[in-house]
Amino acid sequence: MSMSASPITRRVEDDVPRYNDEVAVGEDLEFQRKWWKFENAVWVFFGIIIVCDVLGVFGRGWLAKAQATTPDRAVVLSYERMERAFTPSILDLEISQNAIRDGKVTVFVSGSVVKDLGAARISPQPLTSTIGNDGYTYVFPATTSPATIQIALSPPSAGLRHFRVQVAGSEAIEASVFVFP
Amino acid sequence: MVSIVYAVCGYFFLLLTVRVLKRRAGSGISMLDFVLIFLIGGVIILGTMAQDRSMTNAVCIVITVGFLHRTVAWAKSKSPRVGALVDGVPLVLVDRGQSRKEVMDHMRITDLDVDIATRAARVPSRDQVEYAVLERNGSISVIPKK
Repeated sequence: MSMSASPITRRVEDDVPRYNDEVAVGEDLEFQRKWWKFENAVWVFFGIIIVCDVLGVFGRGWLAKAQATTPDRAVVLSYERMERAFTPSILDLEISQNAIRDGKVTVFVSGSVVKDLGAARISPQPLTSTIGNDGYTYVFPATTSPATIQIALSPPSAGLRHFRVQVAGSEAIEASVFVFP
Repeated sequence: MVSIVYAVCGYFFLLLTVRVLKRRAGSGISMLDFVLIFLIGGVIILGTMAQDRSMTNAVCIVITVGFLHRTVAWAKSKSPRVGALVDGVPLVLVDRGQSRKEVMDHMRITDLDVDIATRAARVPSRDQVEYAVLERNGSISVIPKK
């Protein structure tokens, strides 16, 4: 019968600093004082994050709301300049009477609205949708203004995103959106 | 891939948040602690999964968190400084029968907490306590006068 090897051992040493030369506590009050300062700084930082969130710095709030208008004010685009990944939001396109021609509105949106901003639904349903020119061209039936087209977004990934929207007969609106992870 | 990054961020963010919460005297889990555990745990998992509810993703995240935990535990065993950062350091609350106000105020420890620890250590009264030490896990060790 073979003897099993004995486990490796080492001498037990009392290397914990003693408090008042009596109790082996290992207190490090200098470190702890620095940590208390760090803790306070972290809570101030956390407080700032909460305030920023309430204001909408990270999206879904007052500061996140943005509007862009064509010079002739034919089209008003309302969107959120700060979005969150996988979080739904609405992009509104308000069309004035000038942009309605023959009972129709033709809208071009760049491909990034679908690919980067995750356009999931467009309301109302367009009469036709055509691909080309690195985007999509939709034709909507329209009567009189105010008329609003809504595009539901849900960005699939984080980062700075650019997009372009153009209503036939008006200038293009270009905008950027930052998507938080 | 994104889930792994989220899991790493989530782990260290959670570690920081839990670490900057004060050590609760008594070290046991109270009802209040359950609220924190369930709420924070539930919230962080939603962000970490990143819309991918597959078993593959769940397994990868669990393995990642396991690796991180093992790495932090290894770093703690190798470096006392890392141990102090992750778990904190023991602090003397009562020094030769005198309460240390600075430490007790900063750690939100009351005389009542020390009294409870005194009784738990089978020491009849506070005036027989030589030292009381707030341990890294939140428990209070009491050393009676000789």
